[in-house]
Amino acid sequence: MSVVAFPRPLLDVRDLVKHYPTRTFWRDSPPVKALDGISFTLGAGETLGLVGESGCGKSTAAKTLLRLIEPTAGQILFDGADIATLSPAAFRPYRRELQIVFQDPYASLNPRLRAGEIVAEPLRNFGWDSRDGEQRVADLFARVGLNTDALKKYPHEFSGGQRQRLGIARALALNPRLIVLDEPVSALDVSIQAQVINLLEDLQADLGLSYIFVAHDLAVVRHISHRVAVMYLGRIVEIGPVDSLFTRPLHPYTRALLSAVPKISPAARQNRILLKGDLPSPAHPPSGCTFRTRCPQARPECAERAPQLVAHGNRHQVSCHFAETSA
Amino acid sequence: MSAPILEIDDLRIAFASPDGIVRAVDGVSWQLNAGEMLGIVGESGCGKSVTAMSILRLLPGPPAMFASGAIRFRGEDLLTASEARMRALRGNAISMIFQDPMTSLNPVLTIGEQIAEVLILHQKLSKRAAWTRAGEMLDLVGIPDPVRRLADYPHQFSGGMRQRAMIALALACNPAVLIADEPTTALDVTIQAQIMELLARLRREMGTAIVLITHDLGVVAECCDRVVVMYAGTKVEEARVDALFARPSHPYTRGLLAAMPELDTPGDARHRRLAEIPGMVPSLKQAAVGCRFAPRCALADERCRQTIPALAPTSGEHADHFAACFRAHEPLPGTAA
Repeated sequence: MSVVAFPRPLLDVRDLVKHYPTRTFWRDSPPVKALDGISFTLGAGETLGLVGESGCGKSTAAKTLLRLIEPTAGQILFDGADIATLSPAAFRPYRRELQIVFQDPYASLNPRLRAGEIVAEPLRNFGWDSRDGEQRVADLFARVGLNTDALKKYPHEFSGGQRQRLGIARALALNPRLIVLDEPVSALDVSIQAQVINLLEDLQADLGLSYIFVAHDLAVVRHISHRVAVMYLGRIVEIGPVDSLFTRPLHPYTRALLSAVPKISPAARQNRILLKGDLPSPAHPPSGCTFRTRCPQARPECAERAPQLVAHGNRHQVSCHFAETSA
Repeated sequence: MSAPILEIDDLRIAFASPDGIVRAVDGVSWQLNAGEMLGIVGESGCGKSVTAMSILRLLPGPPAMFASGAIRFRGEDLLTASEARMRALRGNAISMIFQDPMTSLNPVLTIGEQIAEVLILHQKLSKRAAWTRAGEMLDLVGIPDPVRRLADYPHQFSGGMRQRAMIALALACNPAVLIADEPTTALDVTIQAQIMELLARLRREMGTAIVLITHDLGVVAECCDRVVVMYAGTKVEEARVDALFARPSHPYTRGLLAAMPELDTPGDARHRRLAEIPGMVPSLKQAAVGCRFAPRCALADERCRQTIPALAPTSGEHADHFAACFRAHEPLPGTAA
């Protein structure tokens, strides 16, 4: 079922499901299966990359882990305790442990608060007194590479990269163990993106943080992740250690995704696998394997049975009936 | 080589803002040859999109904006052309596609009506002939069941299909030049691959010259013939694509390449620390004194801060490779030369 990565995983997600009911005026329609049973583990100090195209459920997965979206079913074991079904009051202590950084720091920072107040807010919520809080905020600013004169500024006075540093400082405020990074560098220019990625790596090394890194940029994911999960239509189709997954992708979708990335070095370009068409609707997923409608290797069996995640080598799992033969 | 089909000559574009003049484009020149794909790359605010918009004169006029220099299409200066002349060229001889097809297609007209409109206007086709031709265009860009889809509205198309419809619309009159401003930035990578393949095929089949504006160096490396690198409103490097990526010269270009994580580095790729370009893009409100990149450049010396470097060939044997840097040949500290 789940892969044992570290002696005791910090996070153990089991069959997490998020269905959105859809109802038209005259009849009930099938629910949108945004997450259709995903399972994975994450160790302390580990980074799991979640990749896939728009609508694959990667952001839903990220937000459901923090219960910013309530799961429909499944378990989220954090340090051994199931946090998926806790009451809001019982879940509150875990909010300190689980934090999130969003893609667009401008939309996720209160424009009416000064930068210092934004970072102090979680501290105040969890009962820090203001003198200790002030020192903590100053330390956090230094930690993420912001000057102390930035404390008094408003979000609009920062550049995109600085705003993302501010979002990271806020996420760090309560000493979390896990940070969900939802497309944290997608809106940044390349030169600034490198600064933020390096900062995230430094913080992980120093503080032993675990990251769930949601992104569509496969090069960034390869750079920062220890393990990677590839999602398609609300399911994980392949998961494994980063080098194994990138050098020996087993699922036809992973292979197509990797081949589609434009490469600078002519030597790195392989034959491009062009997928036909678009992502099917998650309200009406195809029968059997949901990728079969776009899969260059689909066979009649694929429409009949849904493949399960099966181990192929060391900690590498793939859900495809023909993963061995199609390589 | 024959005369370029499109020529940008010392283009300067400035915007009036409440706290001063912003020099968005500060003396940029380049040429586009017939049938060529030219990449214009750079980060946010480097002036690449403003350059693109200025070609079709889609920017506001004075007093909000001032332009000088020349934009010559087949020798005719577009900056001084009449508005009637521009209307005749737009969507006909020169077309443009944008990053977000949802905001550049008209939501209350069907796809077919929008494509037929340009054909009726520019090619003087009858309604019936325009509709037939619109169906052929949708077929050409690979939309299944094209004749039926003509009656659809933009919101009934997926993102990738909308971009295909935009391309069909832009190419309906068989333009000599297509300006593509970040055409795949909003799309997923598998859809991006489809669209870039489509642009490459249409260029082969129709001979359209394409200006591709993008921040994605990978897309440029795969699709373009030549590339112009912009920084803070200026052109800092220009070369054939293979030369640029084999021998990047300007410290900014080298910095950008070193800052990019690579997909295909074998082994311990993830343990390489990314090279950072310190600081950020300068304000364009002051006139440049020295090199615009000097405050962020590891090689910058006193001369760089005092004198604006001119574009110069990087070496004798590569006469079509230029960089605007006094120290383009020197290795950057901390990176492989």
